[in-house]
Amino acid sequence: MLNTIREVTFVFIIVGIVTLLGNWVGYNILPFEALPGIAALVLICLIGFVIQAALPSKIPVIVYIAILSVVLAIPGMPGSEKFVKWTDQVNPLAITTPVLAYAGIAIGRSWTDFTKLGWKTIVVGMCVLLGTFLGSAIIAEIILRAQGII
Amino acid sequence: MINITQNLWKDWRLHVIVLAIVLLTERIGSFNISVGPGVILLLPMLYAMVVGIGIYFTPLIKEKQSKSAESLVFLAVCLLIARFGVVAGASLPKLIEVGPALLLQELGNLGTIFLALPIAVALGLKRESIGMTFSTGREGGVAIIVDKFGLNSPEGRGVMAMYIFGTFFGSIFMGLISGFLATITPLHPLSFAMASGIGSGSMMAASSGSLIGAFPQLENDIIAFASASNLITICTGLFVSIFVALPLTEKLYGLLTRRKQIHANIKEKNNVGG
Repeated sequence: MLNTIREVTFVFIIVGIVTLLGNWVGYNILPFEALPGIAALVLICLIGFVIQAALPSKIPVIVYIAILSVVLAIPGMPGSEKFVKWTDQVNPLAITTPVLAYAGIAIGRSWTDFTKLGWKTIVVGMCVLLGTFLGSAIIAEIILRAQGII
Repeated sequence: MINITQNLWKDWRLHVIVLAIVLLTERIGSFNISVGPGVILLLPMLYAMVVGIGIYFTPLIKEKQSKSAESLVFLAVCLLIARFGVVAGASLPKLIEVGPALLLQELGNLGTIFLALPIAVALGLKRESIGMTFSTGREGGVAIIVDKFGLNSPEGRGVMAMYIFGTFFGSIFMGLISGFLATITPLHPLSFAMASGIGSGSMMAASSGSLIGAFPQLENDIIAFASASNLITICTGLFVSIFVALPLTEKLYGLLTRRKQIHANIKEKNNVGG
């Protein structure tokens, strides 16, 4: 377990550096301004991994990470203002770009599988994604309007 | 889970290449393409994915890098989830206000069945269509189908096809259509923000990223709604899939194929009669 945490720490530091640089080039935020924010996010992820390793249940680690960061940012929590201010300096799109860059390299391997899918699968696949997206959006719209929020 | 013997962080070749992709694509920046009244957003993240796939076919990337990249996607998504979580936490009072919409829009995930299953059946797909349309075919969905039907069943082939499709095309597709739909339909961008929580980190990122690009003034609300909805989908999705979506898909498949059969019979009779 200690090895995993050490390994994960190094990886997060690398992804953090890539994010800081992308954040600088794409969104004009100097790396030292975004450093506290990214450091806080990395720390939260690591705590998430430690909690998951320590508990016997098989809940996905992102659930722990999400709950941790949500709770720490709730208005009124000690230090939450500073935490939110720091992480504001990290543009979310600056994290998304490396995610999809890694994803592209990872899925290159399934290219042959992908080309074997017939056109029918592609059509149905797009309808599946459209279906969940539109279905959820329509329900959300009805309720948000009924509540007078939008 | 992550393989600790992989020494992921030592894969310098991979990290340097990704850094280069990130710097290049962020430098290019985003573009808006007007399509009628709507806007399609081309964001650095989408170029990054396409460039990544392209680079896989160059000698720069070996099998090893591609395998490490898979674990890295997962870890980088963790960072993204943490970043989104902060916004969700800071907007908690607002999330509670929209709580009913957040919870009920989860039912919209059944839209996969109502939109895609009739089309799959109309295209002539058989029981494959059950595996294809009962969910978005992420890891959890594959596990459910394999557990019930086995991987070598028609349903198993269907869910695997959707898994490959989603992995390959899901983020790009969501990134392209979400901003477009939000600009072209009368639905509010915040409804689409809630809909972005499909239960896949990278699809949620692509979809909400595209919404942020189209409506930058709503950035915080978009992130808060998308991440809250994604978290709810992750927590409830498996149960909804097992107890509601899959039985519903099978029932609807039965109905659709029976109707098709009756139609075919009528046609045959008419042909004989005529």
